[in-house]
Amino acid sequence: MSNDTLYAIKDLSVEYATRQGNVRAVDAVDLDIRRGEILGLVGESGCGKSTLGKALMRMPPGKVVSGELLFDGTDLTKISDKQLRQIRGARIGMVFQDPMTSLNPIQKIVDHLTETIRTHQPKRSEADARLRAEEIVDRLGIRAERIDEYPHQFSGGMRQRIMISLALALRGDLVIADEPTTALDVIVEAQFLDLLRDLKNELGVTIVLITHNIGVVAEIADRVAVMYAGKLVELASVHDLFDSTKHPYSKGLLRSVPNIDLDGTDLYKMSGAPPNLLALPSGCSFHPRCPEVMDICSKVEPPFAPVEADGNHATACWLYQEQSVSVELRS
Amino acid sequence: MAVDLDTKDQPPPEEQALQAWERDLEHIGIMGRLMAGRKWHGADWWFVAIAIVMVAGFIFVALFPGLIAPFNPREQVGPRLLAPGETPDQDVLILRVGEPAASLVDFAGDERIPTGVVRGAPASEAVRDQADRITEELNGGGDERRVRLRVARFETLDEVLDALVVGDVALAAASSLEFEAVADRYPDLFVAGPVDSDQGGGQSFLMGTNQLGQDVFSRVIWGTRIALIIGFSASLFSLALGVPLGLLAGFAGGKLDRVLTMIMDSLYAFPGLILAIAIAAVLGPSIFNIIMAIAVLYIPTYYRIVRGQTLSTKEGLFVEAARSLGAKVRVILTRYIFPNVVPSVAIIFSVNIADAILTGAGLSFLGLGLPPTTPDWGIDISRGAPLMNQAWWIITFPGIAVMLLVLAFTLLGEGLMEIFNPKLRDR
Amino acid sequence: MHPLLLTFMIFGIPALIGLLYVFVRGTPSLRRYIVTRVALTIPMVLILASLVFLVLRIIPGDPVTSSLGPKGSPEVKEQMRANLGLNDPIIVQYLSFLGDVVTLDFGDAMTSGQRPVVDELGEKFPATIELIVPAALVALTIGVLFGTFAAVRRKRASDYGFRLFSVVIYSMPVFWLGLLLILVFGVWLGWAPTGGRIDAVINTTLERTTNMLTVDSLISLNWAAFWSALHHLVLPTLTLGLILSGVFLRLTRINVVETNEEDYIAAARARGIKERTVTYKHALKNAMIPVVTLIGLQVAILLGGAVLTETVFNWPGMGRYLVERIGLRDFTAVQSTIVMFAVFVALISLAVDILYSLLDPRVRY
Repeated sequence: MSNDTLYAIKDLSVEYATRQGNVRAVDAVDLDIRRGEILGLVGESGCGKSTLGKALMRMPPGKVVSGELLFDGTDLTKISDKQLRQIRGARIGMVFQDPMTSLNPIQKIVDHLTETIRTHQPKRSEADARLRAEEIVDRLGIRAERIDEYPHQFSGGMRQRIMISLALALRGDLVIADEPTTALDVIVEAQFLDLLRDLKNELGVTIVLITHNIGVVAEIADRVAVMYAGKLVELASVHDLFDSTKHPYSKGLLRSVPNIDLDGTDLYKMSGAPPNLLALPSGCSFHPRCPEVMDICSKVEPPFAPVEADGNHATACWLYQEQSVSVELRS
Repeated sequence: MAVDLDTKDQPPPEEQALQAWERDLEHIGIMGRLMAGRKWHGADWWFVAIAIVMVAGFIFVALFPGLIAPFNPREQVGPRLLAPGETPDQDVLILRVGEPAASLVDFAGDERIPTGVVRGAPASEAVRDQADRITEELNGGGDERRVRLRVARFETLDEVLDALVVGDVALAAASSLEFEAVADRYPDLFVAGPVDSDQGGGQSFLMGTNQLGQDVFSRVIWGTRIALIIGFSASLFSLALGVPLGLLAGFAGGKLDRVLTMIMDSLYAFPGLILAIAIAAVLGPSIFNIIMAIAVLYIPTYYRIVRGQTLSTKEGLFVEAARSLGAKVRVILTRYIFPNVVPSVAIIFSVNIADAILTGAGLSFLGLGLPPTTPDWGIDISRGAPLMNQAWWIITFPGIAVMLLVLAFTLLGEGLMEIFNPKLRDR
Repeated sequence: MHPLLLTFMIFGIPALIGLLYVFVRGTPSLRRYIVTRVALTIPMVLILASLVFLVLRIIPGDPVTSSLGPKGSPEVKEQMRANLGLNDPIIVQYLSFLGDVVTLDFGDAMTSGQRPVVDELGEKFPATIELIVPAALVALTIGVLFGTFAAVRRKRASDYGFRLFSVVIYSMPVFWLGLLLILVFGVWLGWAPTGGRIDAVINTTLERTTNMLTVDSLISLNWAAFWSALHHLVLPTLTLGLILSGVFLRLTRINVVETNEEDYIAAARARGIKERTVTYKHALKNAMIPVVTLIGLQVAILLGGAVLTETVFNWPGMGRYLVERIGLRDFTAVQSTIVMFAVFVALISLAVDILYSLLDPRVRY
């Protein structure tokens, strides 16, 4: 594992139980998260990106059924609950989608912070922890004298900043942001994204940004991973994804974004609907909706493999894997 | 269900019909859904299932008490304070096999009947007392006959029985247990019945008898009917009054809503039993009054829940309703509010019945409301309390009955609530 | 000093101090809330008192005849009716009734020596308090503790066990449980007394001030009396407390389960906070807020249960007094006792609402 990979996800599958049976929300995902990057994780609702994000911290409701989660050398699937707890909040932090409900309504902001700090650094005194809290809150643009207030006294945007400050209160190597701006209005969202960029540049924080909004990803991500029906279908730098999109689903996704230059042409709409995770199509899960579908697509699932020699752009599509695998098929 | 316009690949008509039927089953599939529900909800499903079985059982008992109760609950059918399963030691009449007589009355006439007893045994006095009693009864009724005995005293039971076999005496009176012990040696003799015919047949009772000689088991069975009548009726009345009031208040709003809610809140906070006691005491003893008294207590519960749901639904649909034709408002509300309200009301109904039964038992325990001879659990417990040191069974079995019946309805309500609650459902 | 007043003072003065403290230190919105809430108590009491009036006087049945029975001569009955004002028009009766309520003029008992009802209540009310308070504490402790346990172990064996326990115990009639406990622990095992508040002999040595025997014996340092009173308290408190614990267990469990589903709980876990801290400090504290309001309503159940418990244990409190007076058709006493209950309930309701406003900062700021 190269030194600049912070988190190596290998062949990860995550399931959770529903009334109709076990759903495999994440299926055999291979992904490397590099230090100091902002990785965007995009896809439609129900594609598994949220479950994957939560699984990075082994949060419920998903259960890891196979694969490895190598965070800075430690396999999170194999460590004890106590060790897991030590990592959560200290080295990996999470920012949730709904700022209105993510904070304890009867706890002051400062107490949220000092509690987190002192849970992971019990030797620190209350006063010391408070100083650190003031420091981090200030860094994130909140006036230090407000930390004695309660969550309901803050606006949505401010609350998201508080959430980030909680995620970074300690060492904060990695921040997983699960749809952080969905509940915010556009201007606040822009400010929030600026903040994320600053954090990356100044503090070297690695961020996984989970969103269904391509625009957000285009703004600040370094690399983008596209998910569909629990599988990773494309992984590329943001530049490559937009300029030389490979997977038909990614293409469809990008075309779906309303264009300001609309000249009367209809909005593009992908045919069909996301599949039922309990009854996936055979072969490639996207094949029923794919405008470039081939015979093999409904029979064999395409492997997730690099398309170019440098390995920085990978996709799971028979359009780009044909050569090597059809040889395998014949033999 | 999408309509498949492309008929090229359709299977032949008979198969289609079959497939359609299978599809329908899956759609209506109560069994399918029940089985899936069982796996998903786990023990809660069992709670509800067991509760339903229990409730059904109790309802059956309440509808057909005569089928299950072996005796009339108001009659004395055995000796007083007999323990469960205990065979009473009675004084019985022993006769020769083949003798047509069944009790002392059959010996009424002008002659003196030779009777064998053990000297000094209680049976000797009992048989004489009974003879006098029967004579009085007959004479009082205009019958001139008398039951006169010529008592022959023996030293041991064996002598008495020997004399009976031989014919020196026409009948014998002795202790049933003593006779049981030697009955094998006298195959020609049988027990005709107890000396005192009021005392019943000398059998044991499943739950014993109370201080009036009544069968506790029969009283418990018959008590089910009273308890369920009170429970159901009171809850129904509450529902009939509370739900419309709640709908009205939620829908109309404004001053009416405020005033009604204030009254209901005050009522809700007040100790139910005390209010029920007051009402029952004032109205006087009758089952209808008890039902009314209890019904008043639960009106606020229905009112609050229905009002709350009406309010929230009203908020949501109001805008839409305003846009559509005015007449449609009522229809929309009936079609949307009802499905929301019905499960909650059903749950409250179930729990209410449980509460009503408890309150009813409390009221009858305090002696309010029911005529004292009614076979009711609360009455039985209150009458049995002073005697509980000697006869623990008189209060125990009715109490267990109350507990089980209330448990059944509470489990039903609890289980349903856990299953229906949307927030708690899918985790 | 009248024991009734004393009892009110013992609980009332700290409450008043607390109220003033909150009022002074709170924000304007909190003050407004307190004032409104206190003001609302008055209509509540009025409504309840009016309901009592309605029930007792308008519903058919002549109270004088039912109380005196066939014994009284027509002249005596007429005199009584005049005394009670029953010949006056209903409105006049109602207004004079309200006036009596406000001035706490409860009249005299119609039978048994015609003692002023206030005095009788002065003796009985503290007795009921002495029973209810420990019972409520027992119920709360068992209920909240086990309710949280059950909520945390949701859908596992112990959860169902606790839920079954709570349902079974709530399904038992309180008077039946009391009788069983007396039978088992009082008669068969002889571990506890079977009735009454205190040993009769020791009673003669005890000087009564508040009429709460534990308090009185502590005040006069009469240790024998203290232990006897405590000993007599065990079974009745356990009876009432156990039954109510079922309710609190269910309530707590449901609220903790719902709170556990909240995002901020998951967020706290995501920060690595210990599971136990998450449960007790975050989830429970938040869950308790709605439970507190509901506790206020459980006082109603508590009082109802107290009536039955007092009857079973021969406990000379307000509940048993009420039942007794009803049996004697003592109309004046019954009316006054129920009004007393109503006032008590209204005050508790007020206290609970104010407590709620203190716990939830969203109301405060």
